[in-house]
Amino acid sequence: MKQIFKYTIVFVSLLLMMSFIGLHKEPISDFKLKNVDGKNVSLSDYKEAKGFIIIFTCNHCPFAKLYPPRFNALNEKYEKLGVPLIAISSTDTIQYEEDTFIEMVNKAKTEKFNFPYLYDGEQKVAKNFNAQKTPHAFVIWKENNQWVIKYNGAIDDNGMQPEQVKTHFVANTVDALLANEKLKITDTKSIGCQIYYRNNK
Amino acid sequence: MKKIKLIVMLFVFGISISNTTNAQTYNNLMIPDTMSGTTFNLALKDTFAQLKTGNQTITGAINNHSFWGPTLFFNQGDTVRFNVTNNLNDSTTIHWHGMHLPAVMDGGPHQVIPAGTTWSPYWKVINNAATYWYHPHLHEMTLEHISKGLGGFIIVRDQNEAALSLPRTYGVDDLPIVLTSRRYDASNQFVTTNSSYGDYMLTNGTPNAQVSLPKQFVRLRILNAEIERGYNLGFSDNRTFYIIANDGGLLNAPVAVTRVKLMVGERVEIMVDLSNDAVSATLDLKAYNSGQAFGFPGGEPNTTGQFGSLLNNLDFTVLHVNVAATTSNPISAVPSVLANNTYWASADATVNRSVTITGGQAGAAFTFDNAAFNISTINHTLNLNAIEKWTITNNNVFGHAFHIHDVEFKLVARNGNASAVGTHESGWKDVMYVPRGESVSFVAKFDDYADPIHPFMYHCHFANHEDDGMMGQFVVTNPLGIGNLLTLQPDFVLFPNPVTDRLYVSFPDPSQKAYYVRVLNASGKTIYMLPKPELENGIDISGLPKGIYFLQLTDDKTKITTSKKFIVE
Repeated sequence: MKQIFKYTIVFVSLLLMMSFIGLHKEPISDFKLKNVDGKNVSLSDYKEAKGFIIIFTCNHCPFAKLYPPRFNALNEKYEKLGVPLIAISSTDTIQYEEDTFIEMVNKAKTEKFNFPYLYDGEQKVAKNFNAQKTPHAFVIWKENNQWVIKYNGAIDDNGMQPEQVKTHFVANTVDALLANEKLKITDTKSIGCQIYYRNNK
Repeated sequence: MKKIKLIVMLFVFGISISNTTNAQTYNNLMIPDTMSGTTFNLALKDTFAQLKTGNQTITGAINNHSFWGPTLFFNQGDTVRFNVTNNLNDSTTIHWHGMHLPAVMDGGPHQVIPAGTTWSPYWKVINNAATYWYHPHLHEMTLEHISKGLGGFIIVRDQNEAALSLPRTYGVDDLPIVLTSRRYDASNQFVTTNSSYGDYMLTNGTPNAQVSLPKQFVRLRILNAEIERGYNLGFSDNRTFYIIANDGGLLNAPVAVTRVKLMVGERVEIMVDLSNDAVSATLDLKAYNSGQAFGFPGGEPNTTGQFGSLLNNLDFTVLHVNVAATTSNPISAVPSVLANNTYWASADATVNRSVTITGGQAGAAFTFDNAAFNISTINHTLNLNAIEKWTITNNNVFGHAFHIHDVEFKLVARNGNASAVGTHESGWKDVMYVPRGESVSFVAKFDDYADPIHPFMYHCHFANHEDDGMMGQFVVTNPLGIGNLLTLQPDFVLFPNPVTDRLYVSFPDPSQKAYYVRVLNASGKTIYMLPKPELENGIDISGLPKGIYFLQLTDDKTKITTSKKFIVE
């Protein structure tokens, strides 16, 4: 039964991939969001970018709090290779005061973020990506002048013990894309606090 | 509201437990923090815990725990007050399991705490000294919220218990033990869909738990907080141990056993003698769950699937015990007399009710009396102070754990036979095992708290069963208490307004009281939920940012709700 289910999933996925608008082939719309430095940031600002590491995260979530040093390291390594990291906070700031814009500014200062930390107050960008958790990572790549999702899920496979990480999902994806290699993993489960969508329709 | 801020500051997420690589490696049993006094601030949060090798598991916990919550100590006779703040990403409730209290304070499916809101119930502790607990009870979400790890123990103390020579040094010779198990996906996250049983044991949230216990009589307060699994508990050398308390109080006398069955929601306090063991000897508390009759939850032979588990139909260790040195002033015997309870008998009941377990076949959900739970249907209306006998009949396919809110009851018969009630279940109870093919009767007095609006629940305590509708509700009404209903719109004045610190409510009619008060901010978010607030002390609004707020007051007599604006400066 499980086997049949698996094959069905594979078959459906193949169908989707073959269709013009595959599930993960649907390009991401550009956006304009306010950064913690007060300036607006859009994907189109980065003329030379080959791709992006987009990470939905937030201040309050205990699991997201484990990752800022790794965000800095990823951007440090990949920005100069044409794949900058952009972090976006889309959580409900009515519920979590810790996630308000002013607190994002403070967080970016104390954690010495070397990347933009954008405020998605209307949650539109998170919905466009279908971001579920904080943190939830996406690797997007430029294909035919469109931004296509190549990977979505966890950043790596150990939140609390960076030294115990066995698979660096995001770094591996970017390395493979830069080397024009086939991706081994395109989806994992993102782990963290659920992003609650207000007025979800 | 400063206290709430303090709790928020205590929000340092705890990280528990070393890794486990094999069954021979034990982790030290987590002993929950304690809270005592009369004001309890509980903050529910999303967090994570190291439960398996590799990635951490996203959990839910309370205050500075990473799974489960603090143990609350109440003294009988005290009025206890709570500020329960929901910092989860979802609405939930907190039910005070086993507590006798007004329905509006009970924390059942009707007392929903929205995300970001503080709920402030209070009541006078009438319950006997025993082990109780608190846990989420949001309809259709109970399995998910309990699976996260949300819950905690309540230990009530009273004069009778205090006068006895019993172990009561918390964490030393008196331990709370909460049994549960979980299934994990490939990313080490809890599986909560189509899964009635866990595959890996968690004792106090600790995988492969061990504890050092002194060489003397020790007391274990054991709670089954599973989704569905029952436990047939005993020690690995089959030694005799003594049951001293059931769910709602001490037994009249200890009961010597070598095994005891514990279904979901049930508690048992046991004493076990370690004085004849050598220091550094070991002993296991085990679940002897193999070979149970069909219908025992967790007896199914499958190892996978909705009703399968790696622990099913097996004998497995729930706690590894290392015997340590004797403490000073050890307890060296079990008292021969524990309490002098006067129990209800069948003959005391003036009302007989029967509840039949239905559904459950051909993929249908289990129900009571052929009707799934409907939050707007009151299934039974009881009179205040009535002594009632309820008989739960299970001519169905599987065993269940029947729980009723509001009262502690006395089991009076199994299959109509009073002598078939076990001595191990002879005390005050609020959950009872209803095996397949049995009808079980209890008698309870529904006293003290009448409320025609807010119902109490009765349900199967298997979280998946109650979520699927195996639940009913009853109200306790006071037929003599219906006074002249006000026909006028109840009115009130808020002062001072604008306010900085404490907001007072004045009624034109001094006999008027509030049944419920909610404080909402300008965007309509509920900030405080105050059941039956004691308004003579005012409402502390010092924690609120400046701005416009609304106070919604539900009048006690008419249950009419009126809203007034106030300004915090």
